Amino acid sequence: MSNTTTLPAVKIDRRQFLATTGGFLLAFTLEGGNKAANAAGAAPTVNAWVKISTDESITILIGGSELGQGAYSGLAQVAAEELMVDWAQVRAEPAPAAQSWVTGGSSNIRAHAQPLRVASAAAREMLIAAGAATWNVPPSTCIARQGKVINTITNDSLTFGSLATLAASMPVPANPPLVPASEYRLVGTPVKRTDIPAKTNGSAIYGIDVTVPGMLFAAVKHCPSVGGTVKSVRTATGSRAVVNLGNAIAAVSTTTEAARSAVSNVPVIWNIPSSAAGVDTALYITQAKQMMVNGPALVAEQQGDVTTAFQTAAKTLEMTYTLPYLAHACMEVLCCTVSVSPTGCDVWAPTQAPGWVLGTVMALTNMPASSINVHPTLMGGGLGRKIEQDYIAQAVKVAMAAGKPVKLTWSREEDMANDQYRPFALARVRVALDAQGNIKGWANRIVSPSILFQRGWIPGNVVDTQSTEGGTGLAYNFGSRLTEYVRHPGTVPVGFWRSVGHSINAFVVESAIDEVALATNTDPLMLRQRLLANDPRSLNVLNEAAKLGGWGTSLPAGHARGIAFAASFNSIVAEVAEVSHPAAGTIRVHKVAVAIDCGSAINPDSVEAQMQGGIFHGLSAALWGEVKFTNGVASARNFSNYRVLLMREAPVVSVKIIQSGAPIGGVGEPGVPPIAPAVANAYAKLTRTRVRTLPFFPGSGMSDG
Amino acid sequence: MISLNVNGKNYSVNVDPGTKMLWVLRDILQLTGTKYGCGIEICGACTILLDGEAQKSCDMDVSEGVGRKITTIEGLSPTGTHPLQKAWIEEQVPQCGYCQSGMIMKAAALLQQNPNPSDSDIDGEIDNICVCGTYQRIRAAIHLAAKG
Ligand code: FES
Ligand code: FES
Repeated sequence: MSNTTTLPAVKIDRRQFLATTGGFLLAFTLEGGNKAANAAGAAPTVNAWVKISTDESITILIGGSELGQGAYSGLAQVAAEELMVDWAQVRAEPAPAAQSWVTGGSSNIRAHAQPLRVASAAAREMLIAAGAATWNVPPSTCIARQGKVINTITNDSLTFGSLATLAASMPVPANPPLVPASEYRLVGTPVKRTDIPAKTNGSAIYGIDVTVPGMLFAAVKHCPSVGGTVKSVRTATGSRAVVNLGNAIAAVSTTTEAARSAVSNVPVIWNIPSSAAGVDTALYITQAKQMMVNGPALVAEQQGDVTTAFQTAAKTLEMTYTLPYLAHACMEVLCCTVSVSPTGCDVWAPTQAPGWVLGTVMALTNMPASSINVHPTLMGGGLGRKIEQDYIAQAVKVAMAAGKPVKLTWSREEDMANDQYRPFALARVRVALDAQGNIKGWANRIVSPSILFQRGWIPGNVVDTQSTEGGTGLAYNFGSRLTEYVRHPGTVPVGFWRSVGHSINAFVVESAIDEVALATNTDPLMLRQRLLANDPRSLNVLNEAAKLGGWGTSLPAGHARGIAFAASFNSIVAEVAEVSHPAAGTIRVHKVAVAIDCGSAINPDSVEAQMQGGIFHGLSAALWGEVKFTNGVASARNFSNYRVLLMREAPVVSVKIIQSGAPIGGVGEPGVPPIAPAVANAYAKLTRTRVRTLPFFPGSGMSDG
Repeated sequence: MISLNVNGKNYSVNVDPGTKMLWVLRDILQLTGTKYGCGIEICGACTILLDGEAQKSCDMDVSEGVGRKITTIEGLSPTGTHPLQKAWIEEQVPQCGYCQSGMIMKAAALLQQNPNPSDSDIDGEIDNICVCGTYQRIRAAIHLAAKG
């Protein structure tokens, strides 16, 4: 979900007076901003909201979702800076769904911090103007400090709350002065996140915790095969209602557990299409190998004369890499609570796309947007899965059928077996080398199902940039390059998984670069330094990671290092992994050093946390992550056969944040892509075995401890 | 009717004795701090204390809780100021936070038995899953709480 954002002009769009609490609300438009979010009608127009109330509360409304990445806290930090208030004075709340945006592409802060800064600065200037008007002095003699406007001549002060009503009538400044970076009190400092205390005492309410008076509980069981539907279903004992959801059934009862037992006992006959036999990952790989040769290939990127580079090459290399389908396995399973009445509908959901939820509910209930309240909740991880609408639609249908508020919660088994998976991929890299071993040509052909085509968002003859991102636009100077895409027709539902195409292509590119280094007897760091010689920003990140990871320094016996580099979501990241190989079928990643240039860091502590999290997440996937399909049935059932990293397996991650001053980059996803190749490169050094197929150790599971 | 003592309060719940403790806590007593993650005793999100010992509640019959002292995250400290909770805030441990109730309960049981655990004691004992990958900070927070 990447897109390159240059910051468009910010326009102050409208203001509203707050009838209930008193005060004012400023709404700001970012022209050319993220318009993808709203399925309900017009594109959202408001990108930032600042609310100053007469009760002294300051609230910012955020159209994106808090998945644990600290976006709400980071944006509140920006607002507090410009409003000249203490950190703790600003509260962050979700904006109305119709004005929300999809949280993806690590975009919450990088796309929305700037409009919020301007909005907050404008609000501050209006408060100052209101104070100046009250004292009848020029605004230039007044300043804002800690929630008050101060008359610098008399030292009188008035609180923001007491000025809010008057401030609302002041002209909205078009270009309010912004606090210069040299005077930042909060931005760039590791302030303590406001959402954390509630996450230590059980009071944080996630989607799965929502309780509505009179609520019943629902469980769902999907047709085990991709593409299957309900043929017939009868009611079961112990349930209040059984609902046919097309490709699944749901049962309603008095607790989640009772609903689960009811749904598992419901007599249901499935319609399994004959095509399900073809939904088979072994078959898919065979097909993909043929398509690698036969295409049809679409050109994603072409530069220079690749044909000549290969014709005149002193040596060529060819490597094919294979990556599996991956499940999201968010810690919080999919869930949604719905209350419908003849006049309205309330939906509580952990969602990365509240605007899409609104559209889903409108379509199912035939109600206008004004009758629907979407309440985005805290999320126990989203990872791209909670953009989807399947679980939302199910909960709405079940609540309508039950005639009571219902909380629908998937079991872990349903969650893993009915995901919208990270696509599998086959990628073949060919490299043309001259007599000195320099890369003169680079050709990468990626065969993978298309997320965008499967949803009908692009036609079949167009490159899915989600599949090729991280394979195109590389900072490396290859002389000439060609990147092609072949769309695999697999019908396994595919979706957005943390870092999307980068999670595939960084492994392919960075493994291939290391293979070139090996083939040309070049140090892998040095090869990358040469290829990045004309890109000082990238080169700096690479060198900082190498320094932090002790590249070239001595290691304990049986250890080796690997390095990888990948830019994504406007951030540049390099990672050095130190691994050992205690026994066959095992690997131990001891340390990871990561350098990230994200332009500037609003909260360096959150950036560090996201790097650690991204690395651990990517490492789980690299070592063990794989979902296979046989007869359309997913292999993943639970953590018992979908292994993730535990504390005792987690490397120590050290993080170097580089603040180059470039436009702010994402941090939620960019830590993920380099870890798989960094470990594969270290592993190849250590064992002389090149892993070209992920995961490293297929078929790994976990058992209860 | 099944009688339970949870966080120092007595409750009677009208459920089948084989009902799992996790769902009694969450869906009936509305103590939703204890989380569901896997239902098969792997992830530890559902960890509670049973007479001070860590216990996964997702596969535990509610009847096994009769006559025992049950503590959930909500009851760990009436003011939310248990040394582990303070350390969790100090070290800014949670990301999504979903696993953290279970992590804190597991760590509380560990510190009961071993007030000054080493890294490897912690690694050996804390085998709950955190998909967000907060392990490094969890370790640091446990050390901080142990210093107390
Ligand atoms: S929910 Fe009990 S261990 Fe996972
Ligand atoms: S903090 Fe999200 S799963 Fe642990």
